Amino acid sequence: MRIFENLGQALRGLRLNRGNTFLMTLGVMIGIASLTVIVAIGDGIKVKVLDRIANMGFGPESFSVIAGAGRMFFTRSKNTVSMTLEDAEDLLALPTVRLVVPRQRKRMQIINKKEFTSTRVYGVTPDWQLARGWNMKDGDFLSDSDLDRKKRVIVLGATPTRKLFKGEDPIGRMLRLQNNFYEVIGLLEEKGLTESGYDPDDRALIPLTTSMSRLTHETHLHSIKVVTLNPSQVPETMEAVRQILRRNHNLSVLAADDFRFVTPEGIMQWVTESEQALNRMLILISTVSLLVGGIVIMNILLVSIRERVREIGIRRCFGARRSDITLQFLFESVLVSLLGGVMGIGLGLALSFGLKRFDVLPTHMTVEPFILSFVFCTLIGLVFGIHPARKAAFLSPEESIRSQ
Amino acid sequence: MNLIEMNSICKSYRNIGFETRVLKDVTLHIEEGDYISIMGPSGAGKSTLMAIMGCLSQPSSGEYLLDGEEVGQLNDRKLSRVRNEKIGFVFQAFHLLPGVTALENVILPLVYAKRPPGNIKERARELLAKVGMEHRLHHTPGQLSGGEQQRVTIARSLINDPRIILADEPTGNLDSKNGIETMKTFDNLVKEGKTIVLITHDLEVAQHAGRIVSIRDGQIASDSDHEERGSIHSL
Repeated sequence: MRIFENLGQALRGLRLNRGNTFLMTLGVMIGIASLTVIVAIGDGIKVKVLDRIANMGFGPESFSVIAGAGRMFFTRSKNTVSMTLEDAEDLLALPTVRLVVPRQRKRMQIINKKEFTSTRVYGVTPDWQLARGWNMKDGDFLSDSDLDRKKRVIVLGATPTRKLFKGEDPIGRMLRLQNNFYEVIGLLEEKGLTESGYDPDDRALIPLTTSMSRLTHETHLHSIKVVTLNPSQVPETMEAVRQILRRNHNLSVLAADDFRFVTPEGIMQWVTESEQALNRMLILISTVSLLVGGIVIMNILLVSIRERVREIGIRRCFGARRSDITLQFLFESVLVSLLGGVMGIGLGLALSFGLKRFDVLPTHMTVEPFILSFVFCTLIGLVFGIHPARKAAFLSPEESIRSQ
Repeated sequence: MNLIEMNSICKSYRNIGFETRVLKDVTLHIEEGDYISIMGPSGAGKSTLMAIMGCLSQPSSGEYLLDGEEVGQLNDRKLSRVRNEKIGFVFQAFHLLPGVTALENVILPLVYAKRPPGNIKERARELLAKVGMEHRLHHTPGQLSGGEQQRVTIARSLINDPRIILADEPTGNLDSKNGIETMKTFDNLVKEGKTIVLITHDLEVAQHAGRIVSIRDGQIASDSDHEERGSIHSL
């Protein structure tokens, strides 16, 4: 087949003109590398967020109310103190609500003699366990009487247990948080690291009342989790919750909510919207950088053809048709573009891995950038190769054989 | 039958409004198996004549029948095929592809052949052996001497078994010893029935051929063949 002959000649041409070949790949390589990295970051963020949702312990029938206005996943606009235990009690009174879990949260050091670790400490009610459906590995969960008596007891997740006790039996042992000692009464079952590296076991639970009076010294709640009887009741319940909270917080009609809802759907929507915005940016950036890559290929190929006029003349003398010369140089540009793509993917993978390894940004590899790059590179090679290739093909054989 | 039949060939180049007439009404017939030299000072139109003869360019006017086929009006595709199948070129500056081995350089015309033979490499080896290059198959032109390069080009011109060998100053870049070797090769090719057209300005080289045509100012100034025939007639 003639086409394979020309492909072979193109490969030979690229090998013999290594310098030009390398220069030609640079533009495309950088374009594809950036495309790979951006796609990897986008996917990484998405995976991380979806994973977080999956591990928030949300069922389809539940949602969270978080104190403070503002957008999801962004820092609170201000430290809001308006959400209280009374709010939680009012919400529980709603007919569609099955469970309400008011919650405080603080990251702090837990100390066992010489061992210490920093973990997320939650002040919760006994219903937390029901709402999360999290089983005990050993001991008991917090009880109503612990809550009523503001007892200094603590339930540990698997991660702090491992760090603090190193194989000893923790039940009944005393741990220090700030200046108070807490008795370990229970251990949560281990869930294990999630795909994105989030550790759901890195937590400790104490009674909400104890947290209020001894740990945070705050009477307001950080969030309330609401579980409805039935998934279909979520929207109406959310509306009812909104009205109760607005009334309780004495918000005027014009004032914005001083709380926000977090639902799996809400997060999903946010992720999808951000992903779309990211994709638009990605398309723009990669189009520009690949156009630049294509122009680089075209220009260097034009220079290369000027250097290789003699070669073209020789080929024409021995029977190469215009179409053979066109094909040969078109193959060269497509191959160079693909080579740049492969190098770009390599570079992109290395960068993505680096970003992930050094915790700069979450990245995730999919097959998508590979397919995209392959298509883009072939197109770039064809589009920007055709002009130089035609130019080479239409050189006069007589003149090119005589050129020095 | 004439293998090459050029009738009233004219070729002119247009350059920034000036028309340069390089060939003026050249008529030249060459029979199969002829050994002919084309001589003339530089600028006389030798190379242009060779380019037209080798189907590298087409005449501005006139008729060129190659092997009975009018090639003056062929399109690029057909013209390329004629070059590929009927003509073998040998150049003064060798014109081997740089960085490519002798073997692959010899194979080059078969890359563009319509029906390349099955045993391409074997055939290329045989031809290289024939010109005494069997020990240099995998050397690139840069590693070969001028004489060796010229032998590779001769092998290349023969690979597709063409009827005509067009040699443009084949000894121009060679020392006398290699020049003599090259001419011996051509002499042998004629014995095998090839038609050889030598373009040269060296009378000693030209005299290897049985017929010498000299060109001056784009016209044929003399043709030994006609003179002989003329002298026969005058007897």
